[in-house]
Amino acid sequence: MSCCSSSVPFAPPPTLPPLRRRCRAAALTLPTTARAPRSAAVRAALSDPFVLEIAEKLEDSLSSSDAAASPLPLQKLRDSASQSLLSKRWPSTKDEPFRFTNLSFLRSSLLLPVPSPTIPLDPALDSPSPHLLAIVDGHVAPSLSRLAALPSGVFAGSVSALPPGPTLDRVLTALAEGFGDGDLFWDLNGVGAPDMAVIFVPAGVRVVDEPVHVQICYSEGGEVGSERLPVSSPRVLVVVEKGAEVAIVEEHLGIGGSAERCYWANSVMEILIGEGGKVVHSYVQRQSVNAAHIKWTFARQETSSVYELIEVSTGGRLSRHNLHIQQLGPDTVTELSAFHVCQNNQTQDLHSTLILDHPRGYSRQLHKCIVSHSSGHAVFDGNIRVNRFAQQTDAGQLTRTLLLAPRAAANVKPNLQIVADDVKCSHGAAISDLEEDQLFYFQTRGIDLTTARQALIFSFGSEVISRIPFEPIRKSVTSQLKHSLATQ
Amino acid sequence: MALLTYSSTIPFSSSSSSTSLSSRRFPATLFRTHVSVPLNPWRFRSRLPRPHAPLRAKATLTVDSPATGDASSRNGSPRVLLQVKDLKAVIKESGQEILRGVNLTIHEGEVHAIMGKNGSGKSTFSKVLVGHQDYDVTGGSVLFKDQNLLEMEPEERSHVGLFMSFQIPVEIPGVSNFDFLHMAFNARRKNHGLPPVEPLEFYSLVTPKVASLNMNPKFLDRNVNEGFSGGEKKRNEILQLAVLEADLAILDEIDSGLDVDALQDVANAVNGLLTPNNSVLIITHYQRLLDYINPSYVHIMEEGMIVKTELIAHPRALMHHLKSLLAVLLADYHCPPLKRV
Repeated sequence: MSCCSSSVPFAPPPTLPPLRRRCRAAALTLPTTARAPRSAAVRAALSDPFVLEIAEKLEDSLSSSDAAASPLPLQKLRDSASQSLLSKRWPSTKDEPFRFTNLSFLRSSLLLPVPSPTIPLDPALDSPSPHLLAIVDGHVAPSLSRLAALPSGVFAGSVSALPPGPTLDRVLTALAEGFGDGDLFWDLNGVGAPDMAVIFVPAGVRVVDEPVHVQICYSEGGEVGSERLPVSSPRVLVVVEKGAEVAIVEEHLGIGGSAERCYWANSVMEILIGEGGKVVHSYVQRQSVNAAHIKWTFARQETSSVYELIEVSTGGRLSRHNLHIQQLGPDTVTELSAFHVCQNNQTQDLHSTLILDHPRGYSRQLHKCIVSHSSGHAVFDGNIRVNRFAQQTDAGQLTRTLLLAPRAAANVKPNLQIVADDVKCSHGAAISDLEEDQLFYFQTRGIDLTTARQALIFSFGSEVISRIPFEPIRKSVTSQLKHSLATQ
Repeated sequence: MALLTYSSTIPFSSSSSSTSLSSRRFPATLFRTHVSVPLNPWRFRSRLPRPHAPLRAKATLTVDSPATGDASSRNGSPRVLLQVKDLKAVIKESGQEILRGVNLTIHEGEVHAIMGKNGSGKSTFSKVLVGHQDYDVTGGSVLFKDQNLLEMEPEERSHVGLFMSFQIPVEIPGVSNFDFLHMAFNARRKNHGLPPVEPLEFYSLVTPKVASLNMNPKFLDRNVNEGFSGGEKKRNEILQLAVLEADLAILDEIDSGLDVDALQDVANAVNGLLTPNNSVLIITHYQRLLDYINPSYVHIMEEGMIVKTELIAHPRALMHHLKSLLAVLLADYHCPPLKRV
């Protein structure tokens, strides 16, 4: 567990980055043993050297490129992230959000920020949708994207390609509101994001039948066992204006030689949905089984807006999805569904928080997970906060896990915090193996045990997969899952 | 007119032989007509000279043990489908003995009924026959079409032509009824060395069967038994039977939870599936079902053994027998007029 690895492969920057200066100054003022008084300065003093080291590496990698030429939104993002990072420690299993999620894989690896990618000439990227936004190692890759068919007024691309004007202003205000509940990984992404993809849908415009397919690719990867872990920090901002609708397919995958390699994807997607707007967000995570994948999804919903999330996560040795939804006005609809599969030595983790502050919100959450490997681990923490003014909220939550191998583990924590007194809330959790009775029923009808198990496992996930609205994506996810279940 | 078959169908162990019936009920009268449609290769082999096949009435002489009856060896008599000898079984978990020496022989074309009190072992018997994992067979033998059933996996038992309708059909969320039937149908075809049937072709094959059960075609799109009413579940079991075309159907309390109309639909469907070559074993508490599906034999089960077997010669006689045999069960049960189906 080396906290001070000596082999930073990047040339030292000509000037001292702001982060380093700030934190050293703070360290001089207070002893590191001081505990708990929660002023920024003290917390800065308690800054975790390991965290600072990563942050410095990330800053160095950016300043070595063209940080100075970065567009304004990105500069602001980095500033606020590095400020907030000073108070963050590397989480341990003593911290509630990481109680069941072991990050030692990251901690023990040599974390290296990925350099600017050389865009592969022979891209494996393709999309069944005419709107493809490709992001390679955190950088928007216009040469691989296909965005000409988007309706006029809709913008999808790098923030640096955004011309000055109302759209840029809107993006800046959206970013300025910030996110107070972000954890260390949120800030690390903010510090390390080399680029920011923006999807902007102006008022009243609908991009529904053919979704914007955001393919987030990772081309850098270390060999298995080398302890080299390239880090990339893709960041996407989605702004949907009043009455607009958009369907997004977010897909994470390793490309080129990275399909089986080790890397760390630390991604963030921020979504702001205006009044009466609607976002249907399909999220497909099929990273290398040796990769770490930590992702934040932060959605804000204004009055009468609709947010639907359908997640299917199959890849990653360590996969953590932090989902935070904040209600900004009444009458919102939020439908979250997730399907996780651990077929290898994998951890699949979903931590979701839904905060309802306004009346008549409606939410449904369904989390399903299959663990079919003896060292597989499923984690779910689903928090729904129904605050004082969120009267007549209707919130439901259900988590179901199938443990199919001896010693497979699941930790689920559905939890509701209700302050309002006129609400309808429900939650439930079930962890089980496949039902013997169901298998026997198949058998008595002449279907052998293997086929029966596969059918039952697949049907377990199809409840979530069938909600993916765009058929080609649904089919490809279905066939991939069928294949992986069959080869197990 | 009546074709009489003499066979020692009901082999009793020596301990229970005193309770078995002698050859009092005899001869038989005609009470059911069959249409002879050979359906599978096994049946082709077993097609026997049967001059009166379409109007066959049967009576079988029951005799005391020892069980030597292999009716198929005798010329002109129907083949033995199922032969259970001294079957003993325990609950795997607790070791409690439930079946304590069951003897039963079923020939093709016969309808048998097993009646008995709760806990007498009727359902356990049917579950043991299809290979339920909760029970261990500790003694005896079960031959189905001369093959040892006890050595087979549950799915193999299905492939050789055994079907059990569940007392409480299992719900399978996420698997549509159509897919389930399609899988089962193709699994059976594969086992018989036939190519699989495409979904479209299967659809045209299955829809008439759905209609004949007075079921809504939307049934096929719903998940297996999920949210089905009691009646729908039982109809669904019969639909599966119709699709799989089993040689021996064990109907475990197919009548429980059914109203009169549903009962009639189910009974009609079962009767429609009956041929001279396949057989039905009905397990029930109530005589009501036997008004619609007329059994040739009624067995009474008590404490894990078949203690009495009655040959039903005439539907009119059925009520009489049942009343005398099951006085306790049927004491206050009003029997509606018997119907011919």
